[in-house]
Amino acid sequence: MLRNYFKIAFRNLLRNKGFSIINISGLAIGMAGAMLILMWIQHEFSYDQFHENKDRIYEMWNRTVFDGKLQSWGTTPKVLGKTLKQEYPDIQEVSRVEIRSPFLLIVGDNKVRVKGGFVDPGFLSMFSFPVLKGDAKTALNNVYSIVITEKLAKSLFNDDNPIGKTIKIENKDNFIVTGLVKNPPSNSHFQFEYLLPWAYLTKIGWDDDYWGNNSTDTYIELKKGVNAATFNAKVRDFTIRHSKGEEQNELFIHPLSKLRLYSKFDGKLEGGRIDLVKIFGILAAFILVIACINFMNLSTARSEKRAKEVGIRKVIGAERTALVRQFLGESILLALIAGVLAIAIVQLFLPVFNSVTEKQLSVQYGNPYFWLFFFSFILFTGMLAGSYPAFYLSAFQPVRVLKGTLKAVHTSFNPRKVLVITQFTIAIILIISTLFIRRQIQYSQERETGYSKDNLIYHFLTEDLEKNYPVIKEELLSSGTAISVCKTSAPITQGFSNSWGFEWKGKDPKQKIIFNRFCVDDDLTKTIGLKIIQGRDINLKEFPTDSTACILSESAARIMGFKDPVGQIVKDNGIDWHVVGVIKDFVLQSPFENTEPMVIEGAKGWFNVIHIKLNPANSTAQNIKAAEQIFKKHNFQFPFEYQFIDQEYAQKFNDAQRTSKLITIFAMLTIIISCMGLFGLATYMAENRTKEIGVRKVLGASVINITALLSKDFLKLIVIAILIASPIAYWAMSKWLQTFSYHINMQWWIFIASGIVSLFIAFSTVSYQAIKAAMANPVKSLRTE
Amino acid sequence: MIKISNLEKIYRTEDVETVALNSVSFDVKEGEFVAIMGPSGCGKSTLLNILGLLDDPDGGSFVFAGQEVAHYNERKRASLRKQHIGFVFQSFNLIDELTVYENVELPLLYLKVGADERKKRVEEVLEKMQIMHRKNHFPQQLSGGQQQRVAVARAVVNRPKLILADEPTGNLDSSNGNEVMQMLTELNDAGTTVIMVTHSEHDARYSHRIVRMLDGQVVLENVMI
Repeated sequence: MLRNYFKIAFRNLLRNKGFSIINISGLAIGMAGAMLILMWIQHEFSYDQFHENKDRIYEMWNRTVFDGKLQSWGTTPKVLGKTLKQEYPDIQEVSRVEIRSPFLLIVGDNKVRVKGGFVDPGFLSMFSFPVLKGDAKTALNNVYSIVITEKLAKSLFNDDNPIGKTIKIENKDNFIVTGLVKNPPSNSHFQFEYLLPWAYLTKIGWDDDYWGNNSTDTYIELKKGVNAATFNAKVRDFTIRHSKGEEQNELFIHPLSKLRLYSKFDGKLEGGRIDLVKIFGILAAFILVIACINFMNLSTARSEKRAKEVGIRKVIGAERTALVRQFLGESILLALIAGVLAIAIVQLFLPVFNSVTEKQLSVQYGNPYFWLFFFSFILFTGMLAGSYPAFYLSAFQPVRVLKGTLKAVHTSFNPRKVLVITQFTIAIILIISTLFIRRQIQYSQERETGYSKDNLIYHFLTEDLEKNYPVIKEELLSSGTAISVCKTSAPITQGFSNSWGFEWKGKDPKQKIIFNRFCVDDDLTKTIGLKIIQGRDINLKEFPTDSTACILSESAARIMGFKDPVGQIVKDNGIDWHVVGVIKDFVLQSPFENTEPMVIEGAKGWFNVIHIKLNPANSTAQNIKAAEQIFKKHNFQFPFEYQFIDQEYAQKFNDAQRTSKLITIFAMLTIIISCMGLFGLATYMAENRTKEIGVRKVLGASVINITALLSKDFLKLIVIAILIASPIAYWAMSKWLQTFSYHINMQWWIFIASGIVSLFIAFSTVSYQAIKAAMANPVKSLRTE
Repeated sequence: MIKISNLEKIYRTEDVETVALNSVSFDVKEGEFVAIMGPSGCGKSTLLNILGLLDDPDGGSFVFAGQEVAHYNERKRASLRKQHIGFVFQSFNLIDELTVYENVELPLLYLKVGADERKKRVEEVLEKMQIMHRKNHFPQQLSGGQQQRVAVARAVVNRPKLILADEPTGNLDSSNGNEVMQMLTELNDAGTTVIMVTHSEHDARYSHRIVRMLDGQVVLENVMI
């Protein structure tokens, strides 16, 4: 019987080539789209799931109430890890992890600056990064030991055995390679090329025992059998106890397996990247449903052609269940063909998808789970697409179909119409969403940053730069390479430091407000282009006492409640900073969020970065070349590694643009698939109404009349879809926009434009068949009757 | 073999109620060849559909092979159909996507007959209907007469007790029509009960008995001599 089903299915496919192509390719495109998204989702869920002890590993997190809002974050005091280990026998292993600014690694003439950081010796036993050479337990015991990845080993030592070899770091200390590990997989949030022992961080004076300095990540591994909830309750007041009440942060454990997707805490972990994963999950479901709807619609539209077969089968004794099985089997077979095609499409578009998502996804043909998933996916799609046609077709009454009295019943409720409306509702929601997302990104891109990004570069203060800064600055200015130079604590596009520890006269002691902390030596406004709105810039040449001067941002001045901020004192880190000016708020971090209050401290602060405003009179290439020569002269051991501020600022939109691109691609995909279905239905409708069209033409209807008549029915459905989609999209988009502090308002034109675009697309799809039918010779169609 | 009494069938639409069968009663004995005649719309096809268990009556009794089947559910009716009844239609009703062989094989597939047995029986019946040489052809490649022969082959391949024929010669020329009637007669001679709806007095003469209908009622029964 199965063979009989196969035969008839294949012969039907071949006989109706046009419909088969639309059906299979629509389904294949939909499946490919859904597969790509599911691969992306699977990759998101796979983050750090490969660690053997993942169920017992946690990151320590803090939570406290700031400004009336519960906030949580994952950086902790450096002292936390070792203190926890000392106090709780429940803990098997602890490791602090600081993978921050990269060091320069030197082997002979070979110099590389790659990402790496400090960890405790337990790191390699706790996490499952396979150690290829060396001993995971002891590799990081010595202060001057270093563990490197295969990739780094290759770039520093080619194929030589790196164990026992020496690497010089930042031209200061020599390290012996004691371990070689596999490159961290892309689905780990630990991305490093080398690991240094925490002991070295202590040795160079970067360690501290201050419970208020939340600057490092702390991971713990609980012993087997330890109840996580009980442990969580035990450590809750750990920071409060140890800081003797100075810090009020509660401590809690955040499972390693959830770190990637959950970063929002509101009583329990509930949001974060998982929200994006959910959105894409819904998108995958939408695409698949739209493709399945095509299948349902085209199958049922063609039902009259299959009705006779159903009738005959029933007459000779087929039960309805046998027919349901047959038609479901057919749709599963079709889904299988589409699935194979979908894999080819996935393979073809994977490089593009990878470049958009910045992932390295691949189809895992060798993995049996992939095939299990693939066939389950086929089965699911086949059942989803085939269920309605199967029950619809198998319900035909043999008496009616064999007598030819089965005709499509024209009623206001028709499941096929409902399906087309569903399809276009989804497509229109996606069109509206895409337009909103693009507008929101554009709006944030056009946002006034509050400073001038043009011709502005920065460079980290590596090795001799700090020492030689005055002479470098002098040469940059005197050579005409730069028009202004300043030293700061961080690039103007990033905030390295913030604190709720600032104090000023009249501060409410209970108030906990976070201020960004930024430091500058001099010439801030001239170099960066910030706008002074009150007082003056920090100026060390004219006012030597400006080493303890500070500038407030306008929102900081407002929050501190200063009517006349200039001359006020703000205390921080044991220094009394006197306010000399107020600047207009500017975008330091996210261009999607409101600006945060900021205190810019003078030369007594700490410095990491040099900002250079290049001379616009010269070409950029000239300026860069001249700057490089000056840097090489005074910092000859280190490469000239500058960054353009405008490029770095543009990178802030990368994530949003990636999401936008993906949604745009998948929105287009849904429209294409929906239109394929609509085209198929229009073809069927034109075929079915040949006689009516002939009669109308004989009676004097023009081509336009007929085209309008045939298109009208479809366009009505699109209008209904627009009416349903608009409020849903309104709700979803207003919710989405609320996640940004700086966002566009609801714009009606987007809804109207989306409606017009959808109608235009639908009309273009349908009109081809409508015009073709309208132009046919009526004599021919009437004669065949 | 068949005993129907006071059979009723009413078709209802929103506005109209049409009585298709009005208290129809008659018997058909095993091995009989009965022709049902009457003008269009008299209810003969409705009666045939009920006799073929394709439709259920609204009232009355229908006893088939000793069982009351009037209110059997679809599953039971399908089971009886595939085991005991063969159908021959005016428009042949072959599945276009299946070859001659596959069309004839279909009832045996639903009866779950084993592959070897199936092959034997299909070939046997194709030989008998003299259509073996066209077994790999599709219905569209055959003449009307050949198609009807395939339809008869399909109707008899499961060796039914009853063959129901709905105007089996309606779409055929007289020579092909006669051939089909000859086949039905041969089947009947071999013991199969045949009930045939026809407009043709000529065809009706092949039967043992003619049941004449008018406006949903049996008005006359003629026994052929």
